[in-house]
Amino acid sequence: MAAIVIGVAATIFIMAFIAGQMQSFISNTIKNEISHIQMHHPEYKEEYNVSFTMNGIQSKLDKISSLENVQAVASKTIANGIISSAKASRGIMIAGINPELEKAVTQMDQNVIEGEYLSAEKRNPILIGKRLADKLKVGVRKKLVLRFQDRDGEIIDAAFRIVGIYKTNRNNFDEGTVFVRQSDLNKLLQLDDDAHKIAVLLKDEQDILQSKKKITGLSSGLLVETYEEISPEVRLFKSQIDISAKFIMTIIMLALFFGIINTMLMAVLERYRELGMLMSVGMNKVRVFSMIVLETFLIGLISAPIGMLVGYIAIIITAQNGIDLSAYSEGMSEFGLGSIVYPSLQPDAYIQVAIAVLITTILAAAYPAYKAIKLKPVEAIRKI
Amino acid sequence: MSVISAQQIKKTYNPKTIPVHALRGVDLNIEKREFTAIVGPSGSGKTTLLNIIGGLDRPSDGRIEVGGKDISTLSDNQLIDFRKKYIGFVFQAYNLIPVFTAKENIEFVMLLQKRSKAERDARVEELLSAVGMTEKIDKRPSELSGGQQQRVAVARALASKPTFILADEPTANLDSKSTSDLLDIMANLNQEEEVTFVFSTHDQRVIDRARRVITLDDGVIISDVNID
Repeated sequence: MAAIVIGVAATIFIMAFIAGQMQSFISNTIKNEISHIQMHHPEYKEEYNVSFTMNGIQSKLDKISSLENVQAVASKTIANGIISSAKASRGIMIAGINPELEKAVTQMDQNVIEGEYLSAEKRNPILIGKRLADKLKVGVRKKLVLRFQDRDGEIIDAAFRIVGIYKTNRNNFDEGTVFVRQSDLNKLLQLDDDAHKIAVLLKDEQDILQSKKKITGLSSGLLVETYEEISPEVRLFKSQIDISAKFIMTIIMLALFFGIINTMLMAVLERYRELGMLMSVGMNKVRVFSMIVLETFLIGLISAPIGMLVGYIAIIITAQNGIDLSAYSEGMSEFGLGSIVYPSLQPDAYIQVAIAVLITTILAAAYPAYKAIKLKPVEAIRKI
Repeated sequence: MSVISAQQIKKTYNPKTIPVHALRGVDLNIEKREFTAIVGPSGSGKTTLLNIIGGLDRPSDGRIEVGGKDISTLSDNQLIDFRKKYIGFVFQAYNLIPVFTAKENIEFVMLLQKRSKAERDARVEELLSAVGMTEKIDKRPSELSGGQQQRVAVARALASKPTFILADEPTANLDSKSTSDLLDIMANLNQEEEVTFVFSTHDQRVIDRARRVITLDDGVIISDVNID
């Protein structure tokens, strides 16, 4: 029974840990990078050409923000180019943002670890990632040169001064993305008030498809996508995590399966004479088989809820402050994972585990029960 | 009419490797209300004969009829049903279920027969009274002496109202007093309730009380004495 309790508790906790990691990855991706829903020019994603812009941005922002489930909305102008310091150059994506609107959507201001967030006051301010700053060997207040093409294909060089350095849990993002004011970038790209992207943060992610439908209705001819459609790695990560969770559950259920077989075989052997006596006095094979299966099933029925409770308590305790994996934070950041994991598990996972345990228990009982009905009463009653 | 009729019963263990001939052709008739002891040295075939009569084992050859029915041709499940209806067993090692009380040990045989609760309760009370164990009704085997356990085992054997009781060395683990008490109880049941008893035993105390003594040696009956 203890084996089932521990097995179930371990399954529940490991699944919650994996789900917590997945949630961490998705929320980091949504929070720092892509939001729940994005709107683009329909051809922009194919070529990332700066000329594929959307116009009438303010009107779109107003309409979208008036929708019921929308928490925040912001537009972005995007350009790909090269950033150069006195010592190095890198290829990067330049994101032109409205600092105030962006704060509400991606909370980028909270990721600033040195200097300050973008503001309206300074001239050509730029926010760069910590990893990029290290590669370029620059710090706050240092000057950088951005080189990119405007909408006419002309090469533009512009000087920006670092006002802040940010750090997210996504190393690749930090190394490859810089933030400038949208107004500064638009001026250089000659885009007036246009933008390449509108990012929408929702109040409730559960209604994402409904919200997508409403936003699509507001913007005929534009491409509206959810974060799973925009970021294939989220889908990939989700499916890998799902597979991993099922794989781990299968391994634990297999261990449970053989554990139960072993335990019940021992129980049958220990009661060999008792079973022989029962068969001698008239208990038929169907009853003996059912008795062993029922006994095992009852053990599972009692142990599984206890194991789930133990697992649930472990989740509650660890979810309060999270599990600190900062010792591995560098490696985890490579995959966009936070260094603190908050285990969490949906209620349907408990039902899945309960069903898996009960099926495993019944299947595992079959072999000992078969051994029991194969015993010969005449031999069994003489067993010492 | 005989309750048990055995004709030319033979039993050979390991026939294909090292054959051991436990019974070499036993003819036997046991009538209703007999109080019979099957005796003989170890390895003479007493227990094998008892097992075959009780449908726990099958003869290699020969025919055995119980209540006029040939049991040597019954399937395993039919044999289980046959044992449930016709035979009560008393084992040397009592074989009571340790987690059951005296009452439950007696009652579960009737549960297999799907008797009503009222009927079960009345029968348990009657049987425990007959074996002098009324006060121990709620005791588990671990709380009873060997003699008391064997008395519960006798009550259990009688619970299904069998045609006869087979007792394999029932007194082997009992002291003199317990043996004497148990034999009194069984003799009383034999007389008053007309239960047929067949013992396999080495115990002289049992042999002294038997009214018929069948002696086996090397798988054959060498004497069959009615003491009446």
